[in-house]
Amino acid sequence: MSRDSKFDLDIVVLYCRQCVADEFAPPSSVSGAGFVARFVMIPCSSKVEASYVLKILAEGADGVEVVACPDKKCQFLVGNIRAEKRIGYARNLLEEIKMGAERLGMTKGEGLSETQLTDIAEKRAGQIKPLGPNPMKGENR
Amino acid sequence: MSLLAGSRLERVLADGRFAVTVEVGPPRGPDPEVIREKAELLRGMADAYNVTDNQTAVVRMSSIAGAKILLDKGLEPVMQMTCRDRNRIAIQADLLGAWGLGIRNCLCISGDHQKASAGGKLKGHPGAKKVFDVDSVQLLSVLKGLRDEAVQEGGDSIDPPAPFFIGAAWTPFAPPEFYRVLRLRKKIDAGADFIQTQAVYDVPRFADAVEKARDMGLTDKVAILAGIIVPRSAGMLKYMNKNVPGVEVPDEIIRRMESASDNRAEAVRVTVELINGMKEIPGVRGVHLQAIEAEEMIPDIVKEAGLLPRPEVK
Amino acid sequence: MIIAEWKPIPEMVDKLRGHKKVLLVGCATCVAECAAGGQREVETLAPLLRMAMQVEDNPIEIHTKTLERQCEWEFVEELADTIGEVDAVLSIACGIGVQAIAERFPEIPVYPGVNTTSLAIREAPGLWTARCAACGDCILGETFGLCPVARCAKGLLNGPCGGTRKDGKCEVDENTDCVWYLIIKRAEERGELEKLAKIRKAKDWSNSDHGGPKRMIREDLQP
Repeated sequence: MSRDSKFDLDIVVLYCRQCVADEFAPPSSVSGAGFVARFVMIPCSSKVEASYVLKILAEGADGVEVVACPDKKCQFLVGNIRAEKRIGYARNLLEEIKMGAERLGMTKGEGLSETQLTDIAEKRAGQIKPLGPNPMKGENR
Repeated sequence: MSLLAGSRLERVLADGRFAVTVEVGPPRGPDPEVIREKAELLRGMADAYNVTDNQTAVVRMSSIAGAKILLDKGLEPVMQMTCRDRNRIAIQADLLGAWGLGIRNCLCISGDHQKASAGGKLKGHPGAKKVFDVDSVQLLSVLKGLRDEAVQEGGDSIDPPAPFFIGAAWTPFAPPEFYRVLRLRKKIDAGADFIQTQAVYDVPRFADAVEKARDMGLTDKVAILAGIIVPRSAGMLKYMNKNVPGVEVPDEIIRRMESASDNRAEAVRVTVELINGMKEIPGVRGVHLQAIEAEEMIPDIVKEAGLLPRPEVK
Repeated sequence: MIIAEWKPIPEMVDKLRGHKKVLLVGCATCVAECAAGGQREVETLAPLLRMAMQVEDNPIEIHTKTLERQCEWEFVEELADTIGEVDAVLSIACGIGVQAIAERFPEIPVYPGVNTTSLAIREAPGLWTARCAACGDCILGETFGLCPVARCAKGLLNGPCGGTRKDGKCEVDENTDCVWYLIIKRAEERGELEKLAKIRKAKDWSNSDHGGPKRMIREDLQP
């Protein structure tokens, strides 16, 4: 995975396949101003566990954004509610270890396009910027 | 008439007189003068004076020490013993020692949980280890054993016996309300001679509860003293209404304290009315007055309620 | 099950400081049931601790393993192959598991990552409540299946005290039922209130840890 500049923030977007537009077929990564968004499809936002997002951050990603369906629109009924609780839990843990809760977030939406998903990643990058780069960068064996 | 322990409180009740007990709160420090001053203030106002045992789990001078200080001042104490801090070994040792020091009345209660000690300005000891080796009913049995069978809880005999006039608490309004009179019966079976109730502000409701006890024959076996906490302010009443289980304050009384121009005078008035209400309930043999950190109000209250002078007993 | 909860991360970090390679060991039984120490929790805690240590410039390598149960020697033995690679162990099993590892591998420091708190039931998702106090003298047959030793804050055997709130909760914790309130209700429903009139004597605590560290033997099961 190459980055344009070592100052680019690496944002991993875990998006639920139900909340993107039918024709959604993005490249695996998109570059923006000061960030690179990597898109990873998941079958439902509820498949996200705290351990996954923490591992992604421990491996060096600067931020993770989970994209889920809006309230009451989860195809599996309560998947997005579960995801929201787990993300909340993981954010608290990140705050406790002084990594910064802002490295992790969740957005809800439907019929999202590549542009919209990129915008979401950009917004997350903006929230991470004040935290500085991930101290785990380059630490992985 | 053969008495169980021969205390003044016992005699007053045995003579059929309306008894008065007053609570004396010991200090959070070691100064005996605090109790001596309260003793002088309250001399002659009651038949016996309760010294609390780490009330709300806040560390204070012990009940036994406070009781001895009162004894030395010529007042009859009622020591209090909770189940929270001492196991059965320490409890019995303290009882034997208390009796040796001349204490003859003991109120046996469960005690507030140690978590209650942290609150307001106090840090307390909420992390203290729990004891509750025996509960209040078992504690009553322990005292009964020490008195009537001269035996320790574990079966070893003591010589001579240690006769106490044994007291227990009653909270008639705590849920499940129907069961509370059955629990009263259990305490009497276990050894209670007298009862001091949780604070009552609703006289008619209390009268109903006492009537149930009377119907079960319990008022023949035990002397019930109605607990009354002097209402210092509407705020205090609202707090107790909300936070102290078993204490129900009628709106009327809260309203009176709220609109009172002279809190102290109204407090005395309300207390006197409550006392007079209790006098009318068959089966209620006295009152237990608590003026928390306001013992100086007691003389006026007792005087206006027509409870002075306290009777002479042989 | 035995329930436990994570110690605050700073407390874990405090113990790991000074170590370079740590083995984080989970347990797939009780602590997995209460979401404190199972494989999922190991996979959550490992990256968390790596990041926590990196943030304070103290990088650490974390190896992971989840045993079926840490309270059985045959499972603890599974650590023998790899434990030589690390300089410390952090166990997120209950205190029994931590001690089993420490006893089997006395040359390596073993730290607890959880606080073991109670014998509990999972009353509802995300809610575990104490049910048993291991008192060694079970009276559930006389209290209508509700344990006052474990569930009454004062451990009363002739309850309730005067501290039952209006809604039937305990004065010590507004979220906890007054178990004596529940016992009485159940007795009443069965028409057996009179059974509660019997004075229950002071308990013999000697068959619990009050009588000394418990030692249970079954000679028929010994080799």
